[in-house]
Amino acid sequence: MKNNVLIVGGGPAGLEASSQLQRLGYNVILIERSAALGGHLAKWDRLFPSGVSAQDALKTLLGRIEGVKCFTDTEVQSINRLDKSYNVILSNGITVLADAVLMTTGFDLFEASRKEEYGYGIYNQVMTNADLEAYFRNHSDKRIDNPRRIGFVHCVGSRDEKAGCRSCSKVCCATAVKQAIEMKQAFPEADVFCFYMDLRLFGRHYEDMYLKAQKDYGIRFIRGRVAEVAENADGSLQVKAEDTVASKPLKVSLDLLVLMAGMRPSVSGRRVGELLEVPVEEDGYFSVREGIVSGQRSPLPGIFLAGAATGPKTLPDTLADARAAAVLVDDYLSGIFTEAKHYKNLVRELW
Amino acid sequence: MIPMSFILAAQAAPEVIDRIPSGYNHFVIPFCVGIVFFLIWITVGCIRILLNIPHSDRLRFWKSLVSPVTIYKNLRDLFCDCLFHVKIWKRKPLLGYMHSAIAFGWFMLILLGHIEVALFVPKRLGISRSALFYPIFYRFFVWMNPGHTTLRGWVFFFLMDFFLLYVLSGIALAVFKRFRSLALGMKHTTKPSLADRVALYSLWLIFPMRLLAESFTADLSGGSFLTIPVNHLWHLIFGDKLWIMPSWWCYSICLGLFFAVMPFSRYMHILTEVLWILLRNAGIKPNHPRKGVAEAEIYACSSCGLCLDACPMNVQKKNLKYSSVYFIRFLRRHNERKINDIADKCLMCDKCHALCPVGVDAPALRRAQRATVNESIAYDYSYLGSAVPVHTATEGNAPEVMYFAGCMSHLTPRIIKSVEKVFNAAGVSYVFADEGGGICCGRPLMLAGRNDAAAKTIAANKKMIEESGCRTLVLSCPICFKIFKEEYGLKGVNVVHYTQYFNELIASGRLKPSMGRERLVYHDPCELGRGCNVYYEPRAALSQLATLVKASKEYDESLCCGGSLGSLTLDTRDRAKISETAVSSLMVNNPDKIVTACPLCLKTFSESVANSTHQVSPVRVVDFAEAISESIGN
Repeated sequence: MKNNVLIVGGGPAGLEASSQLQRLGYNVILIERSAALGGHLAKWDRLFPSGVSAQDALKTLLGRIEGVKCFTDTEVQSINRLDKSYNVILSNGITVLADAVLMTTGFDLFEASRKEEYGYGIYNQVMTNADLEAYFRNHSDKRIDNPRRIGFVHCVGSRDEKAGCRSCSKVCCATAVKQAIEMKQAFPEADVFCFYMDLRLFGRHYEDMYLKAQKDYGIRFIRGRVAEVAENADGSLQVKAEDTVASKPLKVSLDLLVLMAGMRPSVSGRRVGELLEVPVEEDGYFSVREGIVSGQRSPLPGIFLAGAATGPKTLPDTLADARAAAVLVDDYLSGIFTEAKHYKNLVRELW
Repeated sequence: MIPMSFILAAQAAPEVIDRIPSGYNHFVIPFCVGIVFFLIWITVGCIRILLNIPHSDRLRFWKSLVSPVTIYKNLRDLFCDCLFHVKIWKRKPLLGYMHSAIAFGWFMLILLGHIEVALFVPKRLGISRSALFYPIFYRFFVWMNPGHTTLRGWVFFFLMDFFLLYVLSGIALAVFKRFRSLALGMKHTTKPSLADRVALYSLWLIFPMRLLAESFTADLSGGSFLTIPVNHLWHLIFGDKLWIMPSWWCYSICLGLFFAVMPFSRYMHILTEVLWILLRNAGIKPNHPRKGVAEAEIYACSSCGLCLDACPMNVQKKNLKYSSVYFIRFLRRHNERKINDIADKCLMCDKCHALCPVGVDAPALRRAQRATVNESIAYDYSYLGSAVPVHTATEGNAPEVMYFAGCMSHLTPRIIKSVEKVFNAAGVSYVFADEGGGICCGRPLMLAGRNDAAAKTIAANKKMIEESGCRTLVLSCPICFKIFKEEYGLKGVNVVHYTQYFNELIASGRLKPSMGRERLVYHDPCELGRGCNVYYEPRAALSQLATLVKASKEYDESLCCGGSLGSLTLDTRDRAKISETAVSSLMVNNPDKIVTACPLCLKTFSESVANSTHQVSPVRVVDFAEAISESIGN
C-alpha cells in the first residue's frame, strides 16, 4: 500500500521534498495556495552568490516532480486527527487521508510600510528588495530612471524588536550585496551605499562577493542604521543615518532607496498550523521537536516541517532541509507507522 | 462621689460634673507618651522641611499663606482632599466612603470632644495640666447629672455616637478590604511594612476600644443610641461588675501605640498631607527627590495603592514593584539601588499623579531622582549655535503659522504630509520650521533627568522661533507641545497643538470636513491629555467627520500606549504587553479606526496591531491629521 503524504506549500522546499518522496514511492499530494508553484523563488531574478538564474533553478525543481499530485489555488479547509493519520479537506472539495503531513509553508516578506520612517508607500523613490527583483526581471519600474545615487537599507523588519522581528533574516545581507552589484552593473555611474548594522553573510563564496562589491564595484558600506527619510521638493530623498565607524551623523541625498525587507512567518502557513495545532514559538515560526537531533519533526507525530517554516533559511539550506525531511518522513512511514499494534509505544519512544 | 452629686444637683444642677477632681488617671500615660513623641517629631520635621526649601521658595510659601486666592485653595483642598477624599469618591464611591468615614469621622470626634469640654468643663481646656488628654478621654472624667440633661447635651451625645458609628463603619470596610480588595474596586493593594501593620492594627482597634470604654461608662457619663444599648448589654452579661478601667487603659494604649509608630508608618500622611497641600498650592516644585518639598510630598503619600491599578506597567504582576507607591517607600528608606531602578523604569504617563488622592507628583520625583545620577559622558552641543531661523521677519510678511514637526513626526511622515495638506486646504500660510531637520525640543532630555542638556536645546529652538517673527506655533507632537508651552516662555507666541488649531479652523469654517459613516475611537496621548489638559478639541473636531465611540479608559484615565520615551529601561516585550492592553481598551466598542494625536502613539499602536496575530482584519490606526485630511478630500 502506498502511503499518502500531504505537503503544504509549493515553494522550493515543497517541490524538493515532493520529488524526493515521490521517488521513494509514496503517494505525494502537494497543495499550493497561489496560482503558480515556486513561491518566492518564482519572483526572483538571479541568485547569490554566483548569480545563476532563479527561473532556471525553479525549472529544474519543477522538472523533478513528475507524478506528484499538485493542486494550485488550493488551501486547507479543515483537518481531523484520526488514530494515526490526518483527514484533510481541501478547498477544492477533495479529501485527503494523509499518513504524514509536511509543512513547507515558507515565509512572508516583511511589510516595509510598517517602518514608516523609511517612507515606503509614502515617498515615490522608496522600494523593496522584491520590487527591485521584479525590475530586474521585466526591466521596468517608474521609480528607476537612471538613478545617480542609490542606497540599500539592511535589516528592515529583521533584528528589530520594536517591529516584533527579533531574529536575523539571514539572506538579506547577501541579497543586498548581490543587488548592489547588479545595480552598479546596470548603472555604472551611480554611487551605491549600503547601510548595515552588522554584515551577516557567512556561506561559501559570500565573502568573495562582498570583497568584489567593495573592490571592483566601489560600493560603500556604512555601518549604522538609517534613522529617517524625508522627501525633497524634487522627489529625491534625504536620508539621515549615523556612521558608527566615524561616530558621526550622516545626511545623504539619494535618488533611490531600496529596503531589504526581512522574513516573517507566513500568515497563511500559521493558519494551517492552527488547524493542525502545531505549536508556534514566540518569534512566530513553528517549533520543531526539542533536541538537536530531532531534525524536521514537529512536536506532533506524523507532522514534519521544512524550509523557512521553521525560521529564515537560504535557498541551499531550504533544499537540504527538504531532503532531510523526506528521509524522516520515509523513516516514520516505513518504521513507526507500519507497526499498527505498537504505534503508540513507538511514537513515544522514537518520535 | 454620690453625696457630692446630690449636693450639686440640689444647687445649680449643672448637666455635667467633673467626676474626678484631679482630672487625671494613670491610664492616660500611654496616650500622652505617644502623642508627645509624635508632636515633637512632626514639629522638628516641619521645621526641617521649611529650612531645606530654598530661600526664595520659603518666601513664596509665607506669602501664599496670606494671599486670599491660595487661602481659598488651601481650605478647599484641606476639606476636599484630607477630610472628604473627594477624588476617591469620584472614582470609587465605596472606597471614598471608607476613607472619608475614618478621616472625617475621626476629625469630628476630636472636634466635638473639644467643643464639649469647652462648653461643659471649660477649665480643663487652655493652659492646664490636663488639656492634652482631657478632651480625648472626656467621657471617663465626667459624671452626667441624669435629671438635668438639656437638649444641648443630648445633641452632643447623639453626635458623638453618630460619628463613632460612622468611623466604625469605615473601619469595618477597611478590615473587609484587607481581605477582599476587589469588592472596593481595587485589584491590587499595597504590601504593608512592619510599622504599617502595627499602626494599622492599632488604628483598627482604637475605635472598637473607644466604643467599649465609652459604653462601660455610659451609665455614668451619658451616651446615646449606640453606647447606651451596648451598656445595657454589658450589664446583662456582666451584671454590675464592669471592666471600666481595663477598657480605658486599652483605649489609651491603642492610641499611644498608634501615635508612637505613626512617624514610621504610612499614616504619617494624615498630617503631612496638610503641609504638602500648603506647599503645593504655593506652587513650590521639588528640585531634589528627597529634600525640602519632596520630603513633605513623600510623607504625604498614604500608601493607599490607587497608583498600583493606575500604572500601565502593572498589566504584568512582576512590574508591581515599580509602582509609585513603592518608589516613595524606598525614597523614605533611602534604598539607593532600588530607587534608581524604579525611577528609570517609569513611562512618565502621569496617570498615578492624576489619580493620586493626595496629588503626589511621583513622576516629577522620579525625574528629580534621574537628575541626581551622575552622567559622566560629555555631549557636544556646539552644533546648536549654527541653527538658523527658517524665516526672518520683515514687516508684514510673517506667515500665519509656524509648523514645528519635531523628531517623532519626522519618523511618521504621513503626519507631516497630512498636516501640510490640511494647511493648504484651509489656505493657511505657514512656514515649516524643521523641514530639513530640527533640534530636539528638550522634553525627552528632561524626562531622562538631563535638565542642563534640555536647557541648551530649548535656548537654540527659542532663538529660532523668536527670530522668525511668527505669532502662532503649531505642533504635531504632544511631547514637543508640552515643553514648548511650559518651559519655553515664548512671549507673544500662541503655542497650540494641531488638534486645537484644526478644531479652530473647522469652527471658523475655513476647513470643511465631510461627515463619514465610520466609527472612530480617540486615544488620549499622555502628554496631551494628562500632560496639557487637551481633551475636548480633538474630540470636537473628530465628531465633525465621524461617529466617536468610547474606549474603556478615556480622558485622564487613558492608558499609555507603551511606546513612551519616558522609560529608560523598560523591555520591548513589556512594552508590547502594555500596548496590547491599551489597544484592547480602545477596541471595546469595535471602532473602524483608532485615532490618536501623537506620532509615538501612532507608531506604537500601528506596530502592536500589525504584530497581533489573533485579529483577522486588523483595525487601522490613523493620526488625527490623517483623519482630518482624509475627510476633506483631495
